[in-house]
Amino acid sequence: MPSKSSLSSERIREALSKIATNRLQKELMEWQLNPPTGFKHKVTDNLQRWIIEVNGAPGTLYANETFQLQVDFPEHYPMEAPQVIFVPPAPLHPHIYSNGHICLDILYDSWSPAMTVSSVCISIVSMLSSSTSKQRPADDERYVKNCRNGRSPKETRWWFHDDKV
Amino acid sequence: MQNHDEIPVEPETESTAFNMDFEADDDWSNYKDSDVMQQQSAIFEQDAAKFPFVGDKEPLSSLEAEYESGSPILLQKIKVLGKEFGAIRRTRGDGNCFFRSFMFSYLEHILESQDQAEVERVKTNVEKCRKTLQDLGYADFTFEDFFSLFLEQLESVLQGNDASISHDELVLRSRDQSVSDYVVMFFRFVTSGEIRKRSEFFEPFILGLSNTTVEQFCKTSVEPMGEESDHVHITALCDALGVAIRVVYLDRSSCDKDGGVSVNHHDFVPTPSDGATAGTVCDLDLFGWVQTAKQEGE
Repeated sequence: MPSKSSLSSERIREALSKIATNRLQKELMEWQLNPPTGFKHKVTDNLQRWIIEVNGAPGTLYANETFQLQVDFPEHYPMEAPQVIFVPPAPLHPHIYSNGHICLDILYDSWSPAMTVSSVCISIVSMLSSSTSKQRPADDERYVKNCRNGRSPKETRWWFHDDKV
Repeated sequence: MQNHDEIPVEPETESTAFNMDFEADDDWSNYKDSDVMQQQSAIFEQDAAKFPFVGDKEPLSSLEAEYESGSPILLQKIKVLGKEFGAIRRTRGDGNCFFRSFMFSYLEHILESQDQAEVERVKTNVEKCRKTLQDLGYADFTFEDFFSLFLEQLESVLQGNDASISHDELVLRSRDQSVSDYVVMFFRFVTSGEIRKRSEFFEPFILGLSNTTVEQFCKTSVEPMGEESDHVHITALCDALGVAIRVVYLDRSSCDKDGGVSVNHHDFVPTPSDGATAGTVCDLDLFGWVQTAKQEGE
């Protein structure tokens, strides 16, 4: 049964389709011309995995802190969402788990091909910036334990019931 | 904000085990996300095997058979529809059914009519939609692949060039995810662009429908794949492309006219805005879509 592959992280390692490669090259070019403020793409020769440095915005709880995002693109990007996680140590935030998984609707159900790596980054920094307390989600321990065997955040059914933070 | 896992986890069970788990254990809190998602994806695949994105032509009698033990009003309405429509096609109820029905009906209409002038007219409007998205600040690379793919399909249904396709091939492409989903997404871009461009016009309808801002509505209910369409989407698409759409409702409301039953329909007729080309409009009957929508709603 092929069902599992459509959800598992192995799928992400499948080679990019021609359309995906083409689109990502254009995104990368646009990023280089016009990178979102506070983000730096670390140059590698891997188009399918981007490592992005994030600087906490000045005047927020994360000012002067630097984090790393890992963005993996699936074969059928942009029809399918990229997988975006923080490389631990992840920011202390009520929507970010200690293994780096991020609870943000646009990374899962609300993804649209109209979005870009750049717009996802802006959403993530705005999520960080609006945080009023540095703490982990209440279920952090349980969730992270559950992900031990390398589960992708895309295999989680997320509940989004707080859009204030 | 929390993820939705409920239990501390043993090593993951294999995908095929989920239905046995469901039989053996009926405490809801014991189901893992991965099980639930695998079940969802299995249901989706069963659906996919049973219902292609766009189905084969079926006589209306197949619909009649389905509602045989149902409401007599529905059966009467199906009879009335039978006088007007020769056949129906079903579309898969995956949230994209309106856009997919529109894609198939429109391309089929061009393939059958070979109406060059209509193709030119629509291409002009497609270019206006491109301009709209650019003016709204969308980066070209986000939408251009979807636009090219639609324009390619439009060219290919016109006969007499190298890329021309047959009716059978059109059916195959409508069922091929790598074409079909891209065209659906093209329509989603066009719809979103039109709604945003005329946000003052659409705002009250959107407020009534979902109590969100225009921006939020486009982001959450138009642009992501799999989001159902409503009047707002249909109006916007119809206006942007300048193509009239008729939606026929197969519902239980009785609408007797002079002692006979008639079937409700709603015509979406494009309002030409700032110089959009009006001109010939083509009527599309999205009965197949309505049929699917009804089944989803019940």
